[in-house]
Amino acid sequence: MKTAVFWGCCILTSQYAYEMSLRQVLPKFDIDLVDLHEATCCGDPIKSVNDFTANYLAARALSLVSLTGLENLLVPCNRCHFTISEAKKAIQSNAKIGQKILGLLKEEGLEYNPDIKMWHTIDLLHDYVGLERIKKAVTKPLKGLKMASHVGCQIIRYTDLGRVDDAENPKKLDELIEALGAEAVDYAEKLDCCGAALMRSHPDSALSLAGSKLKAVQNLPADGMVVSCPDCQLMFDAKQKDAGTTVGAKLKVSVVYYTQLLGLALGIDEKKLGLDLNQSPVDQLQAKICA
Amino acid sequence: MAKPNIEARDKILARLSGKELVNCFQCIKCTSGCTALKLLELKPHEIIKLVNLGFVDELPSSDIIWTCVTCLKCVQRCPQKASPYHVIIALRNLAVEREAKVPEGYLKAVSQILETGQVDTYQKIVTRKMETVDRECLKLPKISAPKESFQAVFMKTMEERTA
Amino acid sequence: MTRIGVYVCHCGLNIAGVVDVEKVAEYAKTMQDVVVSKHYAYMCSEHGQHMIQEDIRNKKLDRIVIATCSPRMHEETFRRAVAEAGLNPYLTEIVNLREHVSWAHTHEPKKATEKAKALVRMGVARARVLEPLERRRVSVEKSVLVVGGGIAGIQASLDLANAGFPVYLVEKAPSIGGRMAQLDKTFPTLDCSACILTPKMVDVAKHPNITMLTNAEVTNVKGFVGNYEASILKKPRYVDEKRCVGCELCTKACPVKVPDRFNENLTEKRAISIYSAHAVPKIATINPDHCLRLKHDKGVCGKCQEACEAKAINFEQQPETIQVKVGGVVLAVGSEVFNASEMAELGYGRFKNVISNSEFERISDASGPTGGKIVTPKDGKTPKTIAFIQCVGSRDKRFHEYCCRVGCMVTLKQAILAREKIHENVTIYVCYSDMRAFGKGYDEFYRRARDMDIDFVAGLPSEIHAASDGSLYFDVYDKGTNKLLQIRADLVVLGAGLVPNSDLADISAMFHASRSADGFLLEAHPKLRPLESATAGVFLAGTCQGPKDIPDTVAQASGAAAKALDLLSQGEIELEPLRAIVDEDLCSGCRICVSVCPFLAIEMKADIVEGKEKSMAEVIEAVCQGCGLCGSACPTGAIKIQQYNNKQVMTQVDAALAETCAEGGK
Repeated sequence: MKTAVFWGCCILTSQYAYEMSLRQVLPKFDIDLVDLHEATCCGDPIKSVNDFTANYLAARALSLVSLTGLENLLVPCNRCHFTISEAKKAIQSNAKIGQKILGLLKEEGLEYNPDIKMWHTIDLLHDYVGLERIKKAVTKPLKGLKMASHVGCQIIRYTDLGRVDDAENPKKLDELIEALGAEAVDYAEKLDCCGAALMRSHPDSALSLAGSKLKAVQNLPADGMVVSCPDCQLMFDAKQKDAGTTVGAKLKVSVVYYTQLLGLALGIDEKKLGLDLNQSPVDQLQAKICA
Repeated sequence: MAKPNIEARDKILARLSGKELVNCFQCIKCTSGCTALKLLELKPHEIIKLVNLGFVDELPSSDIIWTCVTCLKCVQRCPQKASPYHVIIALRNLAVEREAKVPEGYLKAVSQILETGQVDTYQKIVTRKMETVDRECLKLPKISAPKESFQAVFMKTMEERTA
Repeated sequence: MTRIGVYVCHCGLNIAGVVDVEKVAEYAKTMQDVVVSKHYAYMCSEHGQHMIQEDIRNKKLDRIVIATCSPRMHEETFRRAVAEAGLNPYLTEIVNLREHVSWAHTHEPKKATEKAKALVRMGVARARVLEPLERRRVSVEKSVLVVGGGIAGIQASLDLANAGFPVYLVEKAPSIGGRMAQLDKTFPTLDCSACILTPKMVDVAKHPNITMLTNAEVTNVKGFVGNYEASILKKPRYVDEKRCVGCELCTKACPVKVPDRFNENLTEKRAISIYSAHAVPKIATINPDHCLRLKHDKGVCGKCQEACEAKAINFEQQPETIQVKVGGVVLAVGSEVFNASEMAELGYGRFKNVISNSEFERISDASGPTGGKIVTPKDGKTPKTIAFIQCVGSRDKRFHEYCCRVGCMVTLKQAILAREKIHENVTIYVCYSDMRAFGKGYDEFYRRARDMDIDFVAGLPSEIHAASDGSLYFDVYDKGTNKLLQIRADLVVLGAGLVPNSDLADISAMFHASRSADGFLLEAHPKLRPLESATAGVFLAGTCQGPKDIPDTVAQASGAAAKALDLLSQGEIELEPLRAIVDEDLCSGCRICVSVCPFLAIEMKADIVEGKEKSMAEVIEAVCQGCGLCGSACPTGAIKIQQYNNKQVMTQVDAALAETCAEGGK
């Protein structure tokens, strides 16, 4: 299918590996991505400043999809997905807000369309593509590999908003990992937050949260960690060293995007999957896969 | 002695989508599970109670409302759907409105979005192999920036006070 | 020419606070045929009723219109008053100015008054065309069906039987006793539950007036108050009840293990076994889902039959359905416990040492799976730290909004028992939100717990985790100290609340006993009629009506029995005449009425009319509830509801529209 894609800010400006790996793996399942041009931030950081502006920016993202004529929208970032979901709810439940936002969108020549089907990487792969199809497409099964999944917070909570997986027992990312032939490891800290939201105001605390979780994962019989959100990847991968310093631990955890792991299992070249860009020691992971 | 400000409380209630904030019976589940409690002493139950009783004025000028990690565990688990996270966001909005202390990072985000539409600027990344790359050399497509009309509308939204 | 009296009630300020009752009474005076129009503070009072009666006698009134609260409140009262004055009670019309006017339009007094006038106008119009009706008397079966053999059913049965009435007590488990039989001790006295229950159980079994049917279920109910006919299915035990002596040799011989429900699946028992330690009747039962012989061909296993010296095993035993006729029913079907695995973050179902109050109770019971020793399910060791967590599944918009009423007391009891059994070698935490110790001796019981060094944490944890050694840990913030406690416990006990039975919908449908929003059976009125359902002849006892403790259950059961005695002792009851009747001349025999009647109250009867055989509808007056579905469905207008025929209804519609101007055609 053809789907529009809203990248947000993080992926476009620094988390290139997520974009690279998505662009590599999705065509293997006949999914074509159509970029949204003139896209802006989804509004997540603005929520704390002015909730209305945030809802506007999120509604704007949905409105841009109408310009492509497509019915589906992929939102690979957990926080963008949450922000857009909340904006939809606000417009639907509050006529005044809805009216104002629709009016302002018109000033930009945009029309709001709430019927766009919104996907995240997890449910696009798990529910739309399906585990069976992924299993069949795997050419290099990741046998013997044990991965700890970190699905994140804003993609599973809060249930009343309608999220992509169960809030207390999220299984989809684990099942996606297992579809590649690897084993998904369960652990007590699985639902702990990466702390990314605090980077803007309390970076030490943010790094402490990330560091604690990485420490816990390091103690597991796991070869690495799998994430599906650019903010989470920023904390666990790009900031792993700083996180280690903050919690006083030497961290050597391989952290990859699920789409990177998927790409490896599909036999795609690691450079194309952006694995060079991962700051965490993924070489040890790659070595295990190639062995 | 602190005096309750019911008007301010009603302003907060008006910003929230529901009135469940008043249903809180202080079960403390939110604080017990709060990600920001241990490091930053955020007590969601206390914030809810303060707002409920009208002691709103001390909150927008406090540092504590900026410690929330937005993990949403409190929203998920509250038995009365009082949703401390949404109350905290409403208090943050109030802090901005009252021009109280707002962490710089958020104000920077506003000006960055106004300027380019994105909250960050395009970065150069140093790979593990010590190569410096950017979007262009990685052959990633250019995404066009929003038209000028965006800026005007963005500023209009910032003037909106939901109450 | 009729002579109508109109009486407008103030209902204190309930009506008069919104509606201008004087104006309404004055307005009524202007209507044709209205001879008397008065208003008064409390029409239902003795003075009010007297006023009406005086006017009937002195002013020769033949129709009465009372504009007051809902007819559900006082229609009976006024009908009786009117009858006492010598007028047919069905010539009374109630106009609802409270629920339909003052309470619905509290903030619009002017419009409310106009509406009140219109409703009175409608009531007067209808009063003109009301017909005098008579109540029929039917005899009452002098026996009662009690559904459910827990303490509520047991108490109600004993009260009724002692009063001299035959009782059919139906229990779906192989033994009576219900939940109380699963308890170790009861709060606040710490009486041994079995010790106070088993004598009653034996009394039930021995009572000449009680027919105790265990391993049985009610499958069908027909009829109406005073005249119910119930079908009871006796499920086969595959054991001859008359021969079995309860020696349990069969159990020892049986090779098949099954989960032991009575012991909350903490242990296993055999496919043939006696239900519980103090079972009444003490007869073995075979579980047909697990028994090898019953599941497969003959010739397999049969070890129990070999071992049984009384020759009581009978694999060919068939289910038996018996029909009983009773005058009333007491529903005492109990409740279930919240499945705490629905609250996934607490680890119930994932971690073996996270259990519920029910499981703790079995562990604590001397006749339970551990012989009364408090040990953890995972490794059978004595816990060094036990944590109780309250309000699991209760007071929660995600699961059940109500408070389970007994959770606090159950946990206090179990915390005290743990302290008594393990002495000072255990740390006991109770994490709570509110401590509800409201009953007689209850707050003293709470103080007793505090005296025993039990640590009360004012706060609930958000999630529970397990360490690699199987011990459990969680954070909980305490309001009193403002500290975050990081607790490590060997055993976590969840205060899971009482919830409606999963099959309560079936019971509700079978007995026409509605349910309230919380899912439990609905009482006729929460304050004034808490022992009966809205369906006449069906009484409620125990936790099926709402969670409650044993004292309240027993009180309610005795109360329900008294209500049933009320019904039975007169030997006769009167039936409401507001029923459907068929005009045989108009009936075409199309059967549409039969197909729409939800009470199965219409039968077709064949008759010879003008030499030809004609099939016509006939209403079973005693079963008909007067709902009106047949009347509106009948294509010829042959079936009518008494007091609600076309003229009687349309005259109200005309009156309603009389003083309005309708703008149409735009």
